[in-house]
Order: sequence, then structure tokens, then C-alpha cells
Amino acid sequence: MTHVGKSEKRVDALGKVTGETQFPGDINMPNQAYMKILFAGRPHASIRRLDSSAAEAMSGVLAVFTAKDVPVNEYGLIMPDQPVLCGPGSAKQYADRVRFIGDQVAVVVAESEAIAAQALERIEVEFEDLPVAQDALESMAEGAVLLHPDRGSNIFCQYRIRKGDVEEAFAQADVMVESEYRTPPQEHAYLQPEAGLGYIDDEGRVTVNVAGQWTHEDQEQIAHALGLPVEQVRVVYSAIGGAFGGREDMSVQIVLALAAWRLHQRGIDRPVKVIWSREESILGHHKRHRYVIRSKWGATKEGKVVAAECEVIQDGGAYAYTSTKVLGNSTLMCTGPYEIPNVKVDAYSVYTNHIPGGAFRGFGGPQGAFAAEGQMNKLAEKLGMDAVEIRLKNVLTEGALLSVGTPLPEGVSIGKVVEECAVRSGWKRSGRGWKKPARKRLGSPEEDHLRRGIGIACAFKNVGFSFGAPEQNTAIIELHGKERIEEAVLRHAAAEVGQGAHTVLAQMAAEALDLPITKIRLVVSDTAVTHDSGSSSASRMTFMAGNAIRGAAESAMEKWHAEERPAVGIYQYRPPPTTPLDPKTGKSEPNFSYGYVAETVSVEVDTETGHVRLLDVICADDVGRAVNPQLVQGQIEGAVVQAAGYALMEDFQEQGGEVRTVRLSTYLIPTVRDIPERVESVILEYPDPIGPWGARGMGEMPYLPLTPAVAAAVRDAVGIWFDTFPLTPERVLNALKESETP
Amino acid sequence: MKSVRPGLPEFDYIRAETIEQVSELLKNGKPSRLLMGGTDVFVQMRDGAFSPAILVDVKHLPGMQSIQKTGNKGLRIGAAVDLNTLAGHPEVVKSFPLLAEAAQSVASYQLRSRATMGGNLCNASPAADTAPAALVLEAILVAQGSNGERRIPAHDFFTGPGQNALQDGEILTSIEIPPPPKGPVGRYLKLGRNAEGDLAIVGVAVLGYADKTSESGFRFRMALSSVAPTPIRVPTAEDILESRTIGDETISAAAQAARKTAKPIDDVRASAGYRSAMVEVHARRALHAVWTALGREA
Repeated sequence: MTHVGKSEKRVDALGKVTGETQFPGDINMPNQAYMKILFAGRPHASIRRLDSSAAEAMSGVLAVFTAKDVPVNEYGLIMPDQPVLCGPGSAKQYADRVRFIGDQVAVVVAESEAIAAQALERIEVEFEDLPVAQDALESMAEGAVLLHPDRGSNIFCQYRIRKGDVEEAFAQADVMVESEYRTPPQEHAYLQPEAGLGYIDDEGRVTVNVAGQWTHEDQEQIAHALGLPVEQVRVVYSAIGGAFGGREDMSVQIVLALAAWRLHQRGIDRPVKVIWSREESILGHHKRHRYVIRSKWGATKEGKVVAAECEVIQDGGAYAYTSTKVLGNSTLMCTGPYEIPNVKVDAYSVYTNHIPGGAFRGFGGPQGAFAAEGQMNKLAEKLGMDAVEIRLKNVLTEGALLSVGTPLPEGVSIGKVVEECAVRSGWKRSGRGWKKPARKRLGSPEEDHLRRGIGIACAFKNVGFSFGAPEQNTAIIELHGKERIEEAVLRHAAAEVGQGAHTVLAQMAAEALDLPITKIRLVVSDTAVTHDSGSSSASRMTFMAGNAIRGAAESAMEKWHAEERPAVGIYQYRPPPTTPLDPKTGKSEPNFSYGYVAETVSVEVDTETGHVRLLDVICADDVGRAVNPQLVQGQIEGAVVQAAGYALMEDFQEQGGEVRTVRLSTYLIPTVRDIPERVESVILEYPDPIGPWGARGMGEMPYLPLTPAVAAAVRDAVGIWFDTFPLTPERVLNALKESETP
Repeated sequence: MKSVRPGLPEFDYIRAETIEQVSELLKNGKPSRLLMGGTDVFVQMRDGAFSPAILVDVKHLPGMQSIQKTGNKGLRIGAAVDLNTLAGHPEVVKSFPLLAEAAQSVASYQLRSRATMGGNLCNASPAADTAPAALVLEAILVAQGSNGERRIPAHDFFTGPGQNALQDGEILTSIEIPPPPKGPVGRYLKLGRNAEGDLAIVGVAVLGYADKTSESGFRFRMALSSVAPTPIRVPTAEDILESRTIGDETISAAAQAARKTAKPIDDVRASAGYRSAMVEVHARRALHAVWTALGREA
């Protein structure tokens, strides 16, 4: 192979490095007007009265739009439970309520941003505050105040798994571990805050140029809210400054389209531009879900896990977003990549007045992994068994049944991945099994108050949409030329969120067509000229697009040989079907592909200040086939750093529905001086039988094991299990003090 | 929710060439604000904390950006000297490494290219990193106003959170660091939530030197940031270190005295309790570091 497996230069490198690339906030159109959004600013209230007349009367204000102006005032990726604009006057029941601080109430379009901002202050809103639900456990109890009274309950999704008989198995277990894990929210903190332009294009389409993750889904949601046929809406992603799941749901898309469309109806054809500040971005888009996971696991003295019982409670925040899908992943992953004969899981998504929970790298996997790996490490300790040894006794193998009663797809490598990671990290195997590296291998700290430790964790993560969600990816390839192919145009919707998708698409197209990469021209991320690719999420784009590109290339080449000019191949790839969880037993075929990963982390804990410093992270990740090894390494290192922030530092403070950390000066993410001293990426290539050139997805996997591995390393260092994080210095120091007082 | 402003409110920018011009502008009645590096002023203007009609840039007044030796090994630092320049200046590094260390700890390299020592002090944040250094070096803050020059000792300068001793129409033009005592050793230890960029949860500056006239044979000066309404000196700790034989026990006692002097609050960065505990830990660490270095030199 000449292109796949090679670290080709990124196709977008030059533009981004020189600053030539235009992100949505950089684009200006002639005669554009400016939009500002009025946010609720309070966590739970009904709007008694809304009067925008003073704002509308201001000089320089073109229009103010409120709920009454939204044709179909609802949206939502999974279920349409969110008003586009909250307030009286729309047909949507209970749309007069605001349910989190970042709910959108009105939009002002004006000649300048400053005028729009002033006009916001002239909009009179009379709120009647409602009780604030800020705890999922309380919110799911009988008699709790309902966020969505029409739904009758704050529990908006529920899954259960029943496999075998956990009670009977617990009775026979030699050791038991019971814990309650609590995981925190996390902000995506992408470089580029939300921004975009709404306008009517040359063909009369309501067009939005924004940064998102799935052009065609944005298009559908806009069309639904505006009551327009899908073809009359166009979505373009010019460039995207990071996403991590944070752009899966709507932020500015619908209101931009609404403003452009309503202005057009009034005879005003002017592009409308909006740029969110960092504060607006942090308040306005969803966060990683908080979870409470109660786990009770039992094992035999030989180290075989015989039963796992888990209660999984997800704080969904004010609206569903992708919560139900995230919950599905947690339901599967809370028992880890292990074959456990008896499993009982009850999982719930619950509304609260928090900023909604939604997609974020790992998508329910990190929370599940934190609980599963915590349980595994504690069982190992209780049994006096090595953490690698116990994993290898329990990991899923080819044909072994998941908790949901079906086997993993062919190509199960988790055992090999754990072994490779362990060996690279100094574990030794002897006749008596695996043994972790001696303490002296970790090096000696400089001071007495510093303690070092090492920990391991592993994980599996699905590639692609799960549990019966429709899944497809379509590629178009046009071959131009006469005798020889002069140029191959690849039309594809894939969102390049910074991960390198477009580079990888070009590499795979070159490989499939056996052409130099310079002959591939990409036409991307525009609903007007590409077909639906699904989202850049779920570690799926390389896998899905690769298969679609192969199909399109084959079809185009056939037509080329049949003398068609240009030769156009269109191919829709559909992976093997998945099925939803059975409501009673959870039986399902959850996914068609997985990636497998294991990580070791060594830490140094300052017992006087509580600071945890990451020394070495070794990540072994089975990517099936590294299409572009340098990009793979970038994804591993990026995931490790982002997870390090989640584990140690990122402390999103939301109290009574108010956010104390609305800036990057109060919400800290790791700086270059906070990241692990060394991250070793061990790229393993055990091919996925149905992956393109064997590739699996890999963008999320390295994120999953880091936090539980850190927790294990801290336990090794100072003897305390942390079931809650982030491990801020204060939390660590408090626990150290508590452990000193008998 | 207060609407977040899209940008800065409109203002006139005037680059002042003379002190007299500044005094005139400040007196002419229009709301005005002095501009140094702008790293605090612009952020607060964007937040709508104030909207001056005029920003008077005083960076280019004579002497504002220079560092000069004064007689007997002291230094005169122009108020508008940026923190990267300050941290890297050979005279500062040689004679007052504590000040270089403090300057270096502020925010990030990019911000330090703009931020000035004068601005850091005038902003009078309890968390100002150069303030504890100014306190233990017993700097004199030189202000110019229509009534001429006024010399304000650092320990009189900070009057409350965000408040300083400058009078209307006065501007800080330089910071004079008096000649150091013989054989001084200084350290500034800063604890933030991250390793680079965060405001201090606790900052501790310590300056120590041998002095045969004290009972312990040494004198120490200690100052703290971020744990009281203003940056503060810790005389109780200094007394302990002058009156008792220096060793682990005395250092611990002094660190505890620092903890007692501190009056921290809860905020988004840390609780009062954690800050309080960290004052003791960092005071002890800073004292140990200084003591060890003094021992090496003795």
C-alpha cells in the first residue's frame, strides 16, 4: 500500500498554519447584519410576559425574534424536547419555560453587534421562578418538580440488563466489592467558540455556515424548526475549530437560519452573523454528563468475576440532547470489556436544571469505564492479585458473550492489548502470573512528602452508531480526464473537526483509486454538493468513510473502464445492523465494531498540597490499521491530555443552576506544563475484518482508561481510593487528612 | 444574566508625552483611565466594569520603561517595564532574583509581554505576584502628580482589594528597590491550580540574610499574596525567625504564624481552609529553601 499507513501531510495544514483558513467567525459577507442572543440567565422559570417592542424600536435594530416567530418551536437530536426560543406565543406546550441558564429566549438582529447587545437589555422579560432541580437522585424521586410536565416523569430514558442470576452468583462469590462512583461534568473548551452566518443562497436556500459535526443532521433540524422541506435548507462547514462532541447539538444553527429566513420574508435579504463569546459558549452548549454509578461485583478467589450489579444514574440536565444514546453506552460499558456470566444493570437518564449533558469524547464510555475499572482494581487488591492478572482472567474473547447476551464482532483484541501495555510498562510474567514493576522502577521522588504509584486500566469503545440507530455513510467519486485520470473528485460530507478526517479521506481515496494523492480533490462538508456521511463522532468517520470510499472508487473505476466521462461512482456503505436493548433483558447486538485500549499511568502525589502530577502514560491502542500513524499518535496524545484535565483539574462549578466557571480563567484546562511528562503511544494493528484496510476507529478510545488508571496509581501511591473526581489538590488533601485521623 | 459585551466600548486613546499632560487629562472632567499593558483594563472594560471616555496611555512617559541602577546597588524600575523584561534583566537577576522569580510567575509569557510591574501593583489585586516581592524588598513606589513627587513605601500602598494609595491625578512612575542587605537570599513560591497561568491560591515571598545584630544571627522578611484583602507582610513570623535559633522547629513555628496572620476567603480557586493550610506549607517550603541557600553561602 502506498497511501494507507503513511503519515501524509495534513491537507489543511498550510491554510491553518498561515491563518488563511476561514473559520465561521472569520467570514464576513457584504451587507451583513449582526445577531445577539438573549439567554435565560436563570435555571428554571416560566416566562409570564415578554415585550420586545422597546428593543425593536431602537435605531439600528432590524428585528427581534421570539418564540412566536419560530414555525415549529422545538428541536433535539434524539427527541424534540427543547424549544428553539423559550417564551409565550408558540404552539409547543410548555415552551414558555426556561430550564437552564443557557436557554435561548430571543434573538436581536441589528446593524452592529454593539447595538444588538444594547437592544438585548431593552427586552422586558417577566420571569416566575420555579424550584431548581440540581440533583439527579432527587429529581428521579416521586413528587419531584417536573422539568417537562407533559412527560409525567423526570426519568426520560431507562435501560435494564438481566443476564443470569446475580443474587445466586453473589452467594457463591468469595469476595465482593461495592462502591458508589460519582463523575463530574466537563466542558469541551474547543478553541473556537460558536459562530456562524445565516443567509439565503443563490438558489433561494436558507443557508447556514457554521462549525458542526454533522451537516445533514443540522440541515434536518433546521428544516424541522422552520417548517421547510429539507432541500430548502443548506448547511456548510467552512472550517471547524475543535468539537469533541460539543457541536453535535444545535447552538447557533437554528436561530441563524430563523433570522435569515424571517428577514427574507420581510423583504430584507441580508446575511446575519453571530459570534459567541467564550462565556456564551460555556453557558450555551452541553457538557459531559454527571453520573452516579453504584456497583456491586463479586469474584471467586481464583479471580473470576461471577456477577456484577450496577445502578447507573445519568444527570441529563434540562433537555435530552444525546443523553439516551450516551446512557446506552454507559449501560454496556459499566461492566467493562469483561465476560461476566451474571449481570444486572438498571440505568436512568434524568432531567435536572443543569446545563444539558450531551456528547463528549467517549460518549458515556469514560463514566462506565471509571466504575468498571475501579471495581476491577479493587477486586484485584482484595484478592491479592495483580491488576493485569485479574484482567486477563476476565477479558472478553472471541465468541464470549457481552452483558447483553451476544458476542462481540470478530476481531476481539482486548487481551493482547492489555498484555502489550503491561509489558511496555514493566510488568513481568512468570509461572506465578503477572507482576507489576517494582517500586524502584518508578524512580525516587526528590522529597519525603512526595509519593509515587502506578496504575492500569483498559476499555473497549464502539465504533459507529449503536443499538439500532440508522447507520450509513455515502461517498461520491468523480473521475475526470480522457485517456488517463487527470483528477479524482471526492465529494463527502465528513466534518473535519481537527482530527484529520479530510487528510485521511484523501489518503483512502488515493489508495482505493491507486492515484497520487495530489490528484485527489476534496469537495466537502456542504449539504448542497455532498451526500449524508453521518457525524464525526463515535470514532466512526475513518471506518465508515473508508468503506464508502472503497465502494465509490470501485464503482467509479468500473464506469471509467466503460468509457464514461466523467466516471461517477456513488456508494452508500451500511455496516452490519445493530439492535436496540430489549426493554426487559437488555438483549441486543449493540455494535458492529470496537476499538480496544489499555493504559498505565504513573503519578507523583504531593502529600502536603494534594497535587497529583502525571509522570508517564503508556497507551496501547488497537487501531486495526493506522491510516496515518502521525494523526493516530496525535489523537492518542490529545485524548490523554484531555482526559488528564478531566481526571485532575477540570472542575465545572454549577450551583443552584448558576455557573461559577464561565471563563477559561476560572475553568482550567491543562497547560503544556500540566500534561504528563511522557506519553508513549503504542499503536497496535490487529485488523478489524470489516474495517477499511482493517482500520478501527480510535479517536475516543485512549480517553477512557486514563481516569481509572490515575485513580489506581494514586491508590498505589498514598493508599486512598478516590471514587469521585476531579482529583483537585483540595479533594486529595482532604482525603489524606481524613485517612490520618483514625 | 448580564449581557456579555461583544467588544470594547468606544473610547478615545491618547498617548501621553508628559506628566503635565496626564494631569491635565485627568482633571478635565471626562471619565478617564490610565493605560499601561492593558491586561487588566481591557478585560474589565469588556466586562462593562467601567467605560472611560479616554484611555490615557502612560507607558511612553520619560523613564517609564527603563531600569536603572541607583547609588549603592539599588534599582529604579520604570512602572511600565513589562514583566518579561523585568524577569530577564541582568541587574534584576543578579541583585534581586526574588523579583525576577515573582515577575516570571505572573500569567503566561504572552501576557507578561504586555503586563507591567506598575500595573500589577496599581491594580492592587490581593493575588498580585509582584506585590509580595515589593513588600519584602521594601520597595518605594514613586508617584507623580500635579503637586510633584510622592514616595510611598510598598507597605502603605495597598489599601484594599483593587485599591491603592494613589490620589486623584497621581500616577505611579517608578518602583525603587533599595540596596539589598548583604548576602540576601530570596524565594517566591506560588501555588496555583495549574502550573502556568492561574492566579495564585497562595504566594509566599521570603527574603533572608545574615545579621549579627539579631538574636538568631539572621533576619527574614516574609510576605503573602492571595490570602488577605491585600498582599501582606508577616511580622509575627519574622520576629520568630529573628529571636530563635533557626532550624526545623523555628521554621515550622514561623510558618504557623504565617497561617495565623492570613485571612483567606473561599472562592472558585480554593476554599479558605485549603488556602490557610497552604500558607503554612508554602511558608515552610520557602523558608527552608532560603535557609538552605543561606547555609550554603555561610
